[in-house]
Amino acid sequence: MKILLVEDDRRASDYLTKGLRELGHAVEQSFDGETGRMTALAGGFDVLILDRMLPKLDGLEIVKALRNAGSTVPILILSALDEVDERVQGLRAGGDDYLSKPYHLEELAARIDALARRQGDAAPSGRLKVADLELDTRARKVTRAGRKIELTAREFQLLEFLMRHTGQVVTRTMILEGVWDYHFDPKTNVIDVHISRLRQAIDKGHDVQLLHTIRGAGYTLTDDP
Amino acid sequence: MRLRPFARSSIARVAVLHALLLAASMMAVLGVVYLWTARIIASEGDELVSVEAQSISADFREKDLDAFVTEVVDRAEDPWIRGGIYEMRGPRGDFLAGNVVVLPELHADRDGWVEFDVDVVHGEASAPRRIRGRVLNLDGGFHVLVGHDVEDRLAFRAVMLRSLAWALLMVILFGALGGWWLGRRISQAAQSITESAGRIARGDLGERLPVSGSGDEIDALVSRFNDLLGRVDTLTGTMRAVLDSTAHDLRGHLNRIRAAAQDAHHTAQDPAQVESTGIVLAEIDRLSETLQGLLRIAVAESGTAPLDRVDLSQLARDLVEFYEPVVCADQLTSTLEPDLHVRGHRQLLTQAISNLLDNAIKYGGTAPIRVVLTRDGTTAVLAVEDGGIGIPEDERELAVQRFRRLRGSSGLPGTGLGLSLVSAVARLHQATLKLEDANPGLRAALRIPLEP
Repeated sequence: MKILLVEDDRRASDYLTKGLRELGHAVEQSFDGETGRMTALAGGFDVLILDRMLPKLDGLEIVKALRNAGSTVPILILSALDEVDERVQGLRAGGDDYLSKPYHLEELAARIDALARRQGDAAPSGRLKVADLELDTRARKVTRAGRKIELTAREFQLLEFLMRHTGQVVTRTMILEGVWDYHFDPKTNVIDVHISRLRQAIDKGHDVQLLHTIRGAGYTLTDDP
Repeated sequence: MRLRPFARSSIARVAVLHALLLAASMMAVLGVVYLWTARIIASEGDELVSVEAQSISADFREKDLDAFVTEVVDRAEDPWIRGGIYEMRGPRGDFLAGNVVVLPELHADRDGWVEFDVDVVHGEASAPRRIRGRVLNLDGGFHVLVGHDVEDRLAFRAVMLRSLAWALLMVILFGALGGWWLGRRISQAAQSITESAGRIARGDLGERLPVSGSGDEIDALVSRFNDLLGRVDTLTGTMRAVLDSTAHDLRGHLNRIRAAAQDAHHTAQDPAQVESTGIVLAEIDRLSETLQGLLRIAVAESGTAPLDRVDLSQLARDLVEFYEPVVCADQLTSTLEPDLHVRGHRQLLTQAISNLLDNAIKYGGTAPIRVVLTRDGTTAVLAVEDGGIGIPEDERELAVQRFRRLRGSSGLPGTGLGLSLVSAVARLHQATLKLEDANPGLRAALRIPLEP
């Protein structure tokens, strides 16, 4: 994946670049807003990672410039500001996701992965399918191997979220934000419990397990772990 | 502008008070004027009679009877002595002279004064007039009545009383009107100040109290208050800027440290190195979590977080549902009144209630947890009750302080900021956090003003 990283903190940028390259991504670095904007506008990137506060130009200005130029490239905004309100501003300006510092490399990697792939299947059909597990968003129906599975509204949302990110790692934070719109750490293993409930519902009695835990990172829903 | 009932009643109070005060002072002034005037007029009339009586007594002593009778007749008929009343009777009560016939029925008071009504002929017209006079008992059994027509005086007094009554009525009327106007003006000023102050208290520090432009004392007060607000606004802005730049700085540092530590952890070969870098990473994460908690508290306390309409019932329902799976079977029950809306910050409110639930789960043991949301007048009351160890009464105040952790909680995860955040978020929402005894356990209740 080709990534543009606009970050004025050279040390942090280098570490992040190193980490992302080790994960197999191609990373280009920009160290100030103006250069970042020019490079971003030139195009050719799968994902942009923008620092919120940059010398010469605010990260949000780059987002606006890109969106005004008609670019739909997925943008992850990185910020050292508390995300309580800043996050809303960032997303409103046209950012696709928001992560506050200090971040975990795994979290960031999972998010850019999700962002880049979302671009791929931009047209969400009413039906999602992973192996023999099927989910119909319109009829709000879930079946595994043709047998109907009863889920609560929230379990349905959780499964839909996981199926939309099939084959990717989704972190607990991504689930919290994506399914519950919660932006805090609940401090208990509550997400794990929700996941294991869902696993009971969809995997119990089947030879092929679909919902997998990725140690230290999160979960993934796939028939090809 | 529509006025609230309390404002209307205060206007009425001012109006009535104003009218009463004005009427009372007016009554005092006019009363004094009336009494003095009445006394002066009365004493003038009485003096006239007394002087005439003296002159008559002197005449009686100096003249013989015939001459005296003629004198009385002259005086009685003298057109120049306007309003003069005379009557003279002999020792046997026989009428000797005079222009009225009343003497036999008269009973004088102790000072010899009499007052009576009589028809007095003036030219051709005759009309009942009030007379005030003296009966003189002269030597030899003669009686002479010397009187004076006081009808004019009475009429004057009546006119004066009537005018006074009218004046008083007008004073009360205008007093009430003036008071109403005055009260309304003050009340409107007070109300617009109250409304603006309410918005300011809810965090809109850009708001200023309205200045009427009349340059009166209220305006002076208001503009002084606005200056103060300006200072608060500037200070808050500075504080938020300092907060943001501090946050930015600290998070930037932490980010670099974490990246370096993660890199070291990743590249470490020696198991001891892997372990030590792992510990460093975990400590950095703890530090980040604490910093995050502190910053959120600071944001909530700065009052700069934007507020929106929040469905508290829905929010509580979602949170209960969210936590339900981590609690032992059916141990989390809730009674939530639907459709309670508050003006709030969704994320911060969610986190605050989540902290309460988190505490209940952490300290509540396996006892049931109850979440109750009710309406109490114009307030929403959200209470989380657990059946755990509770907090001793003398420690409850300390419990909401930063980094304060409960006795016997050292083995449990947490930053010691949970309840501090709840209390900061409560203040942001003009709400109160109360920690009470749930017998056993703790009842943490948030009272948040409802938004209609």
